Amino acid sequence: MPILSLLIFLPLLATALILALPTRYKSSYKYIALAFTAIQFVLAGICYAQFDASKTGVQDLGGYQFIEQLSWIRLDLGSIGKLEIDYLIGIDGISMPLLLLSAFVMLMAIGASWNIQKSPKGYFALLMVLNMAVMGIFCALDFFLFYLFYEVMLLPLYFLIGIWGGARREYAAIKFFLYTLFGSVFMLLIIVGLYFSVINPLTGAHTFNMIYMMNPQNYLEGSIFGWEGYQEILGVSARLIGFIVLFFAFAIKVPIVPLHTWLPDAHVEAPTPVSIILAGILLKIGGYGIIRICYSIFPDMAALSNWWLGLIGVVSIIYGALNALSQKDLKRMIAYSSVSHMGFVLLGIASLTAEGISGAMFQMISHGFLSAALFFLVGVVYDRVHDRNIYSFRGLAQIMPKYTGYVAVAFFASLGLPGFSAFIGEAFVIIGSFNAASIGTGLPRWMALGGSIGILLSAAYLLWTLQRMFFGQIRLKGGESWSNALTDLNSREQIILFPTLALALLLGVMPALVFNNLNASVLNLVSFIQQFI
Amino acid sequence: MDQFVHISPLLTALLTLIAPLAAFVYQAIVGKRDQSGLVSLTAIILSFIAGGLTWFSIWNNPAVSIQVNWFTIGETSFKVGILLNNLSTLMLFLVPTVALPVHIYSRAYMHGDTGIHRYWMYLSLFCFAMLGLVIMDSLLLMYVFWELVGFASYLLIGFWFTRETAVQANKKAFLVNRIGDLGFLIGLAILFTQFKTLNLIDLFGDNGLIYQSTIAQGLWISPVNSLPQIWLTIAGLAFFLAAMAKSAQFPLHVWLPDAMEGPTSVSSLIHAATMVAAGVFLLATVFPLFNESALLFIAIIGTITAALAAYFALGQYDIKRILAFSTISQLGFMMVGIGIGTWDAALFHLTTHAFFKCLLFLSAGAVIHEMAHLKEHSHLDFDPQDLRNMGGLRQYMPKTFVLMSIASLALAGFPLTSGYLSKDSIVISSFEWAISKGNLYLIIPISLILVSILTAFYIGRLLFKAFFGEFRLLKQLQGKLHDQPLHEAPKTMLIPMFVLGLFCLFPLFSFNPFSYHDSWLMDGLLLDEYAFSPSHSAHLIIPVILLLGSGIGWIIGWKWYVQNKYPLNAASQGLKAAFNQGYINEFYQAVFVNGTLKLAQFCYWFDLHIVDALISLIQFIVLSLSQLSVWIDKYIVDGFVNTVATVAYWTGNQVRLVQNGKIQTTLYSVFLLVLLGLIYLIFF
Repeated sequence: MPILSLLIFLPLLATALILALPTRYKSSYKYIALAFTAIQFVLAGICYAQFDASKTGVQDLGGYQFIEQLSWIRLDLGSIGKLEIDYLIGIDGISMPLLLLSAFVMLMAIGASWNIQKSPKGYFALLMVLNMAVMGIFCALDFFLFYLFYEVMLLPLYFLIGIWGGARREYAAIKFFLYTLFGSVFMLLIIVGLYFSVINPLTGAHTFNMIYMMNPQNYLEGSIFGWEGYQEILGVSARLIGFIVLFFAFAIKVPIVPLHTWLPDAHVEAPTPVSIILAGILLKIGGYGIIRICYSIFPDMAALSNWWLGLIGVVSIIYGALNALSQKDLKRMIAYSSVSHMGFVLLGIASLTAEGISGAMFQMISHGFLSAALFFLVGVVYDRVHDRNIYSFRGLAQIMPKYTGYVAVAFFASLGLPGFSAFIGEAFVIIGSFNAASIGTGLPRWMALGGSIGILLSAAYLLWTLQRMFFGQIRLKGGESWSNALTDLNSREQIILFPTLALALLLGVMPALVFNNLNASVLNLVSFIQQFI
Repeated sequence: MDQFVHISPLLTALLTLIAPLAAFVYQAIVGKRDQSGLVSLTAIILSFIAGGLTWFSIWNNPAVSIQVNWFTIGETSFKVGILLNNLSTLMLFLVPTVALPVHIYSRAYMHGDTGIHRYWMYLSLFCFAMLGLVIMDSLLLMYVFWELVGFASYLLIGFWFTRETAVQANKKAFLVNRIGDLGFLIGLAILFTQFKTLNLIDLFGDNGLIYQSTIAQGLWISPVNSLPQIWLTIAGLAFFLAAMAKSAQFPLHVWLPDAMEGPTSVSSLIHAATMVAAGVFLLATVFPLFNESALLFIAIIGTITAALAAYFALGQYDIKRILAFSTISQLGFMMVGIGIGTWDAALFHLTTHAFFKCLLFLSAGAVIHEMAHLKEHSHLDFDPQDLRNMGGLRQYMPKTFVLMSIASLALAGFPLTSGYLSKDSIVISSFEWAISKGNLYLIIPISLILVSILTAFYIGRLLFKAFFGEFRLLKQLQGKLHDQPLHEAPKTMLIPMFVLGLFCLFPLFSFNPFSYHDSWLMDGLLLDEYAFSPSHSAHLIIPVILLLGSGIGWIIGWKWYVQNKYPLNAASQGLKAAFNQGYINEFYQAVFVNGTLKLAQFCYWFDLHIVDALISLIQFIVLSLSQLSVWIDKYIVDGFVNTVATVAYWTGNQVRLVQNGKIQTTLYSVFLLVLLGLIYLIFF
């Protein structure tokens, strides 16, 4: 059974179905979306269950699982050679957990879209296209295919924010779109460069196969990104430029400081489900891209530049946390906290140690559903009174005790309370990046200490918010009408939140559920890069 | 008895740990439907029995441990396991022994509170976390429970979450503890880098990695790695930072007095007897890691804390705050015990302190309970915790008075009490240590002696002001109440207090009331050789000095507070500073809190007006460029085309005039063409 293809293209079927059904059946759209996403989740679960944790992946095609390979485009271009684009998909320990996470977060997003009133046909159709694109990104092993999915993803997001968003939705949508496009346009240049540098050892044709791009022996001598005698562009090694351009393309997604300003605007304007997808999946594509593409195709440059990556990570951690501390809009605060938490991912990746990279991967998974839960929780109060200002609320614990309980658990989980998943991720990023200096990866120890300050600050902004909004005597900006509108969580909301937070707890207590599948790939990646230190 | 011993201690230890967890989960699920707290109480009784059995079978026997795989990351496997040795089982038994009376007491003390189901839930969570902390066999797991303990404390301090002060206090407590947690995390990172394991047995067990590592040529060399020597000191200080936060050492002590916003029963268990002692326990566990400079630093901080807290205690009027500062001060003593290398003495003091401080708080709670009832019935507005509203309580609550006096004597280190043994063990050892080190080091034991005398004085002040003299509210109450204003505490509260009272006396710890060397507890922790030689004269002289000093202090206190011959000016700078805790909170607020907030605001300003403005600038530039190109397109490119068109049109129009059908015009234009042709031929 071509399980990955099914996983990727099932949503497309859903889109077709939704578009084909006349509008008078509009109440059925969400059920179609839900059903297809649920099937996807089951399929992703089967992938997880059948996954062979001992296989390595990364730069070794034999180490990938569920591989599907079809030749897609073959063109004889005369003197330039043969064009070879494959439909090549497969997963390893790096992509499999993210795939499962995406399916889960999608399910949450559908649940959060339950009350969408504005043209549900377009909404759910676009959501399903987006779903297809993200699944494709995590599975694609052909760079052309990857790029295709990567660009397709932007289209539905643009419309989802631009049409179903808040007051300044058009500004936010364009900002988001241009930011990301800016990164990916240059990525295309590098892809073309790589294409002309790499040949398929079996056929001798140029190829977009990412796995071939990871093997130094497949590079043509004297080609632009060739290993033999580095080519230079304006006096800088071409491989370094390639690495930097790809890094920035993905770093915009992560996002890093100072390329993060699309994120708060996009989050604040986006409807709750889109925020959930943005924080839960999209940011992870950045981290995933850095590991899968930047690090694996340019391992030499990864070893060279990890000091800078670590620095960017630390700056993002602290700067994001400080910004979160001064926010008055709850959603904006959580958006900035995402910047801070994703900084840990970058720091862990930069450490080039097994602990650090595993910690970064774990942090991505954990942040995936924790941030999704946080945005969902913001949506709960916004749905009821259309206000998100922290100072408009006080003493909510007395009106909405269940809600307060969930918020408290989500906050404590996000600030890294042991027992929840974020703790494992952050602790191992710190341990790994501290350890890095001993292995000689060039990451100084003060970066680990700097990163740990982020852990302190995250406690500060989350607890302060908890105190300001939920504790104390009741005082609401909207007075009596608000306290009537602010009903406690309903069962739909609890059905979405409970599994999410339970998962955070489960992974915090049993991190082996993720680490076991991750470990072989991470070790392979680390030893692959270690050759170049 | 024999068949009990045959039950595996690992099993009983697990039961000790799991019982409170089960109670927590149960209470979390049923919520409001069960307010009795019987499940939590049963759990702690089970813990008490199982913990006792564990302790009984392990004490002075070889250590036992068990491990299972937790997860593997990279090439390192992390394991979950428990380690039972004298130190951990002592704590494993101590925690439920203190917690059990507190649970019983709480049933009366918290009776009728609307959120009591949460209270039981949090309390069970705390017990679970604390028990987990003491028996875990790896530093990573200890860190997990270390933070969970802090979390439970956060929940309990903010138990009355509608009170603004309470929610401020719990936030403060968690954040200050977080600073310590960072120290713990960095300590973990250093040890993991150096030894590739965080397992306590591998690190600190017999011939553990710590003992195998050496210092040579400025490097700290372990069997698997080496680091610059400075990291050994930093590792020690990092763990001490963790202990400083949790055990409320200067300058991170500020959260503990505020933590008194929680229910008094909570203060007694968590913020006096167990959690705050966790720092001391941690330091005892990682003790082999400390080098000379780290130890000296610990001793100095301990001394400063002991002295400063005793001074602050003098200026307080809130009965709980006095006890809070006395806790901080006593924790300072324990830290000195660690710092001078006698961690067995520190642990001994920890144990005795747990009982008498718990009792002190419970007695204070009994008083507050009665005062609060009085406030409710009389509709007077007064602070039920303020000493200035008390006085003469001895007549109304004689049993509470006796029990509190016993605990106070233990705190002051009066002979025949447990406190005498344990406090003397620290003071005398510090004296011996100082002698072996040099004269300058004598500052520490001398300060400790002074602080001990001060301790006797401030606890005497509390007793005199609360229990002696006249009840100060009597005048205001006249005619408002029919019977006595105050009553003895209910039996449910008194019985646990009575049991704790027994534990404040010497026989439980040593059959010789005057020598701590005979204590089973000190024997069991097996630190038989100190790094310094014993001094026999110190064993004689120091207790006498302490006793005389305390006696004089009490006489003065009696005169000042009972006979009301108070000679000092209450508004003097010294006393005001003591009351305001040395203005440390104000300083922190101004510098760290406001500083961070200012920085955060600046960052946001920077984000909006610099980072995002740059993006807007790019947008502006791009838009301007596009407008420019629109202009060029319209007026230059298009303009050229239009000009050509216009010229052609105009020319056409002119030429059209020729076609008017007249023969003359035709001939004229033929002629003109020929002429033009000729001119072209001639000139070009």
